[in-house]
Amino acid sequence: MSGLTHFIKSMTLWELLKGMRLTGRYLFVRKITIQYPEEKTPISNRFRGLHALRRYQNGEERCIACKLCEAVCPALAITIDSEEREDGTRRTTRYDIDLFKCIFCGFCEEACPVDSIVETQIYEYHFENRGEQIMTKEKLLAIGDKYEEQIAAARTADARYR
Amino acid sequence: MSDNSTFEIEINGVTLEAHPDEMVIQVADRNGINIPRFCYHEKLSIAANCRMCLVEVEKAPKPLPACATPVMEGMKVYTDSPLARGAQKGTMEFLLINHPLDCPICDQGGECELQDVAMGYGGDVSSYTEGKRVVMDKNLGPLIATEMTRCIHCTRCVRFGQEIAGLREMGAVGRGEHTLIGTYIEQAISSEMSGNIIDVCPVGALTAKPSRYSARAWELNQSNSVAAHDCVGSNINIHTFRDQVNRVVPLDNEHINECWLSDRDRFSYEGLMHQDRLGEPAVLDHGEWTRQDWQIALARTAEILQTAVAEHGEDQVGILVSPNATLEEMYLLFRIADHLGISNIDHRLRQTDFSDQDNAPVSPSLGVAIAELDEQNAVLMIGSNICKEQPIIAHRLRKASLNGASIMSLNMRDYDTHFEQDEKLLGCPSGVINHLAAVTRAVLELNNQQAPSDLSDILAHNEPGDEHKRIATKLMDAEQGSVILGVQAISHPHYSVLEVLATQLAETAGVTLGYLTDGANTAGACQAGILPHRKTAGEDRADPGMDAGQMLSGTLKAYVLFNLEPEYDCWNAEQTIKVLTAAEHVVCLTPYVTDTMRGYADVLLPVTPYTETSGTFVNIEGNWQSFQGAVSAHAESRPGWKVLRVLGNLLDLSACDYMSSEQVREELASHVIDVAAGKPPVDRVPVKLFDQPDAGLQRLTGISIYGVDNITRRADSLQKTPVAQDQMIRINSKLAGKMQLRDMDRVFVKQANNRIRMELVIDDGVPDQCVWIPGGTEHTAQLGDLFGDIELEAD
Amino acid sequence: MSSEQQKRFGNVLTAPVCAEIDKWVANYPPEQKQSAVMSALRIMQEENGGWLTNELMDAVAYYLDMPRIAVYEVATFYSMYEHQPVGQNKICICNSISCMLNGSGKLLDYLQENLGVSLGEVTKDGKFSIKEVECLGACVGAPAAMIGKQYYEHLTPEILDKILQDLD
Repeated sequence: MSGLTHFIKSMTLWELLKGMRLTGRYLFVRKITIQYPEEKTPISNRFRGLHALRRYQNGEERCIACKLCEAVCPALAITIDSEEREDGTRRTTRYDIDLFKCIFCGFCEEACPVDSIVETQIYEYHFENRGEQIMTKEKLLAIGDKYEEQIAAARTADARYR
Repeated sequence: MSDNSTFEIEINGVTLEAHPDEMVIQVADRNGINIPRFCYHEKLSIAANCRMCLVEVEKAPKPLPACATPVMEGMKVYTDSPLARGAQKGTMEFLLINHPLDCPICDQGGECELQDVAMGYGGDVSSYTEGKRVVMDKNLGPLIATEMTRCIHCTRCVRFGQEIAGLREMGAVGRGEHTLIGTYIEQAISSEMSGNIIDVCPVGALTAKPSRYSARAWELNQSNSVAAHDCVGSNINIHTFRDQVNRVVPLDNEHINECWLSDRDRFSYEGLMHQDRLGEPAVLDHGEWTRQDWQIALARTAEILQTAVAEHGEDQVGILVSPNATLEEMYLLFRIADHLGISNIDHRLRQTDFSDQDNAPVSPSLGVAIAELDEQNAVLMIGSNICKEQPIIAHRLRKASLNGASIMSLNMRDYDTHFEQDEKLLGCPSGVINHLAAVTRAVLELNNQQAPSDLSDILAHNEPGDEHKRIATKLMDAEQGSVILGVQAISHPHYSVLEVLATQLAETAGVTLGYLTDGANTAGACQAGILPHRKTAGEDRADPGMDAGQMLSGTLKAYVLFNLEPEYDCWNAEQTIKVLTAAEHVVCLTPYVTDTMRGYADVLLPVTPYTETSGTFVNIEGNWQSFQGAVSAHAESRPGWKVLRVLGNLLDLSACDYMSSEQVREELASHVIDVAAGKPPVDRVPVKLFDQPDAGLQRLTGISIYGVDNITRRADSLQKTPVAQDQMIRINSKLAGKMQLRDMDRVFVKQANNRIRMELVIDDGVPDQCVWIPGGTEHTAQLGDLFGDIELEAD
Repeated sequence: MSSEQQKRFGNVLTAPVCAEIDKWVANYPPEQKQSAVMSALRIMQEENGGWLTNELMDAVAYYLDMPRIAVYEVATFYSMYEHQPVGQNKICICNSISCMLNGSGKLLDYLQENLGVSLGEVTKDGKFSIKEVECLGACVGAPAAMIGKQYYEHLTPEILDKILQDLD
């Protein structure tokens, strides 16, 4: 009996028709393909992309060199040097994140008591030369300055779940 | 414990043994039962003002503080009951009311007692919503950083100052909520043990200024080591961060330093990475310094030594070794010298009178264990500024003094001490000898003994006065007594006479004779054979060589200097530099290089300081304490023992294939069996009379507390302390009156061929016709003999 | 050293002051002469027109052989020692519970307004200064005040005004 069924199905190209039916159905469904890079997918407020160091509104850097992010980082990607700044506050003199080591787990962001180190929604970056993967304090602050609005918005949106 | 009887008490249902007069917390601590506490500290008196250690005691209506509740037989204590827990949590909440909750920026974060206890006993949310108290920070000087808002008023620092440092500088000012811990008037803490308040502070109110904000507790690696700046051998923990020394803290050792550490041992690490550090070997080539490989530099060194010995003879080579070198380095230096036939080798750089060296002990010793100093009944210190020279020994003497001991001194300046001195004798260099002779005579008379024939003249000349008799009686009456020769006695121009008299005095009075030497490893140097008249373990040399004084008074052809800066570390700075400059060859094995050194040296070999090498220091009680390097050697520098081992190979020294410093030590240990046994006495030096007062002004020198060695001199924060800044000469008012000088006047000090300008202080603690000058400082490094004739000239 | 100290404190440790302090010192065993610190501070304060300077406290420390900080501790703990200049009449208003319930706050407000100075300040003519103190132990006559060494009870702004005028 099964032999007969198989014979009929193969003679009528039944499997092909079945496939064509699926194809035909999608012909009329709304398209989700986007034209990257002209078009981009929406991303979550919690997206963990490139890092940034934030400042307070008065321009003071938030980071207080507590080194909790360095301690929590499972990939040992963060290196911090600290010292007493002239005004007596505790500050970093060096804040490096090695993006080759970073696994974008977001622990640094979780550990930060002053919301200084954050992971932004930026995922488009590249390196051309050796050493560029080290995000220095200056680079991180620059990213923070540039995207502060976006960073702050994402954090506000997510605040009630934190 | 005065009473050895014990009884049983019960803590948390466990039956434990307790001694009468103990507090509950002590029994709990001994048995590993944790009771949270802030104000209680094992070594300090009980204040019971933090209330954190509240526990429930059966039949007591309220929780009681465990630190101030004496044990009673059959007592039942619960440290973890709902009542106790509730009380502890309540206390914690009160403590946190005014304490900032910003642990991430606090330097104590991660090693904070408050943080730890808050994890166990703190609530999630505080019910306190009002404004917090804010307290202005105090400036306590260059060593201690303050953040007084964090202070929880445990008063440990206050009690430390009062009870341990003996100098009450901190206090609790104001009352109630307005209580402030501080000095009231802004002043730097002047105790030489001040750094310990950083350790006793349970919160981040007092932290170390030099290492402030530089690293977190969890990032530091810890290595045990031994402090290298005095003969005590305090045990330390070196904390390193990324292969750099970040700070030094004490390591508990009840037999030596307990849980304390002097500031010098604590903060000297700052000098380790000074810009003067020598990174690569260098050789002087046709008047030009060139960096060289180790191989070439060492070959050049070997060549210099071999040629000097071959061309000019063994006695034309001198080896000077710092008493801060490790035992292993010293032993290898001895072996190399011995192999080349050189017997001009010495470590006694600040000494000038060597005439009685054959009677010196094989290894200088305190005579008693450091911990036994607490139990002495009478101590006579001769020529010692004990609080500055060996702060830990001074602390022990203070304990003895508080136990009722008579501490007496015979000095060339009336030095401040933080304990009571029962008797003080003061004299110029020859006056000190006469005083000592008078005390010796008084002791002999009390004993009805005849004066030994060689001392009869000097004893006959010195009639004992009342004060001498009192000292004699106290020493005689003491069940345990000590006569201690300090650093300034050893550098006394007639040290041998002092030693003869002190030996006689100690013997007749039946007390021990002790030495407190310069440097961390003088005892080790003597045992390893860094002496011109003795080999390893005190074996006599058949043909004694020149001592440090002779080596530096006339120029030899070649010198080897190990780990020293002669202009600061030697008896006569000016003469030494002259001699070294005139020498044909000078090889310096040194961690630091200065322009002066480049001026006379031919080869510079970078060796490491004690933090970067393994080694051993022998402390003044004869304790061999070994340590490992805490960080890797800086740049191309190498541990001294490795350098010397290779040099030994190049010089064809047999059996010089040590693989580790331990092997070197083992080999030396097999030679040094019983140094305490001493040597049969030889004839003492003839003692002349000191009946003529010295003509003219006499220089007296006390080596500045932070000028003792090359590391300390480069420690920035220590150099900024008031005591290091005090670079003034001292004369008494009589002399000042005669010369019409006033306080803070500038004068010219003339000695040898040099003339320097210094400020003066009038201090009646200086004997007549004497000028006291700090030594080991940049300023005075141009002058001549540490003791001797000097001239003053008004500016 | 001692001559140096003498030079420093000679002008404040005058013979009558020393004699007065010695009277108190005599009340205690000789090894515990620091027990006289409170009296000594009081004597010094009276000599100096009602307030203490650091120099005066140092002098007491020197005279009674105490660490200076120990004297500072005592002098800052008790409210009767002043560290700022005060008026000829120091008006101490009790602020503890009985007096507070009976209107000591009003008295304070009245005084500040009337004399034109706030707490801890001295009037321009140097006659008055106002101070808030803890319980004077006169709850039965609340609200109470102490002016100089005299207690005044059941005060109202009017009574106080009269007292001040009498003091003028």
